[in-house]
Amino acid sequence: MSQSKNSRRSWLIVPADHDDVVAYAGSHDADIVVLDLEYTVAPKNKDRARVGVTGQIAKLTATGAEVFVRVDRVTRWADVRAAISRDLTGIVLPSPDDAADIVELDALITTLEKERGVELGTTEIVLMFESAKSFWNADALGRASARVSGLGVGRIDLSMTLGTVPQNEFRLYRFLMTRTLVAARMLGKQALGAFWRPGSRGGVASVADTMRAAREARLLGFSGCVCAAPEQVAPVHAGFVQS
Amino acid sequence: MPPYIRRSLICLSVDDPKLAEKAFESWADAIILDIVKSPIQDWQQVLKAKMPTAIAAAAHGGAEVFVRLNAGTAQAELEATVFTGLTGVVLVGVGDRTELVQANERLEVLERERGLAIGSVEIDLEITTAQGVWNSLEIARASPRVGTMTINERALYQHLEIPFETTLEVEPIEFIKGQIITVATSVESQAQGMSYPLCVSQNEVDEATLTKAVRRARDTGFKGVVCAHASWVKACNEGFRPSPAEVEYYREVREVFAEGLKRGLASVPLNGKMIDVPVDLRAEVYLEWADRVALRDQQKIQAHQL
Repeated sequence: MSQSKNSRRSWLIVPADHDDVVAYAGSHDADIVVLDLEYTVAPKNKDRARVGVTGQIAKLTATGAEVFVRVDRVTRWADVRAAISRDLTGIVLPSPDDAADIVELDALITTLEKERGVELGTTEIVLMFESAKSFWNADALGRASARVSGLGVGRIDLSMTLGTVPQNEFRLYRFLMTRTLVAARMLGKQALGAFWRPGSRGGVASVADTMRAAREARLLGFSGCVCAAPEQVAPVHAGFVQS
Repeated sequence: MPPYIRRSLICLSVDDPKLAEKAFESWADAIILDIVKSPIQDWQQVLKAKMPTAIAAAAHGGAEVFVRLNAGTAQAELEATVFTGLTGVVLVGVGDRTELVQANERLEVLERERGLAIGSVEIDLEITTAQGVWNSLEIARASPRVGTMTINERALYQHLEIPFETTLEVEPIEFIKGQIITVATSVESQAQGMSYPLCVSQNEVDEATLTKAVRRARDTGFKGVVCAHASWVKACNEGFRPSPAEVEYYREVREVFAEGLKRGLASVPLNGKMIDVPVDLRAEVYLEWADRVALRDQQKIQAHQL
């Protein structure tokens, strides 16, 4: 049984190829553990990570964790094939551009659910917007599949594709957060994102900055965000608490 | 230039026994009538009987009169509320253009049936949902009747699940306001709204705070506001207009620039600033705006003297 979307505050990213890190991922009290098959896995380790991912999912869910897998957009078919299992709650898809991508992914997941005895339609999809196109297509992307349960704002690819150079504050970011929030509320999905500042984001964000980023995201209408390090789970929870 | 001089709007109930008195004393540019649907009688018949009197009462002090309707039930509510004297209807919670198209069609029928000029009843939009924001451009383009667009901030905050905390240094819906202002302007409509944080807190505040908030709202692009309190009206009437200092400055701009043109110059200095065609055009717009505000104030004074 998946959690209420309101209780999905922290989405802890864990590289799927690091068995030692994954082994402890369930102990950090994150609301969601996201096994990563994207950037935190070195290209040479991707095949190995895929082979082991269903086993990792099963071990983590046995500890009570709710588990998603973040796929690589480029290799999403192989990644999804590797991940779909009864214990998996959902897929995090970075940088979707067109609704057709989601329709295709939905069909693949349905096929795999049938093959693997997973209750049909239960595997969720969370979309992380990381391109200009994705923000403008947010409505169509969110409607493309009933599986879509959350819309989030990505960051690294986003600044790359938009060509922005964040100085002190990524000024476009609030506009993109607003657009994501509006789309999410319109479609009844969870809005994911935090108001990170350049220089203190990702794995290097301090506890104080993480809490501030989460708190400000809450005040902007968001209810959860990705954590790149276990130390960020507690400040994210604190930031998303109603004062 | 704002299409309408509608700086202050206040909401009053059609059932308020002091409706005429409150509208008269408010000095608001516009009164928005809130309807009440009788649960025990045929509410349409009850409203039909009340509305002509209520419209006249609300207009007693020279205000334009609107009625606030729910977009989802607008067809039936239009039938019960549109009568002579009504400037327009405020549709609350419009989410897509279909609702506006249907309201537009219904209004045309009612205008024919009730002897009103075709197309004369304005439609104003009160945005309360994410759908309304997302679809705002196509909604605004759906009818030539659209006059103003207003964000009901508290309703929208609730819909977007943004807490009513005003502790952020940034405004949570700043970009939504920008969207609505540009959408409204693009269809030759105008946007109404208050600046942050007063738009959310909706407190009664001291005059200086209110004056500053209204100025910020005006300079953001809003042309007026639905006042949370009758005490806001005076500051809004004085603030959503060119200030006396601006009028004085822009008169000087026009004089200095006209003299410069006579001397064959394309730009002239004034107090260390460069005055050229864009500045002169701005001066022209501001002075015309000020004249229209003065005329509107005169109309209201005359209405109060009747």
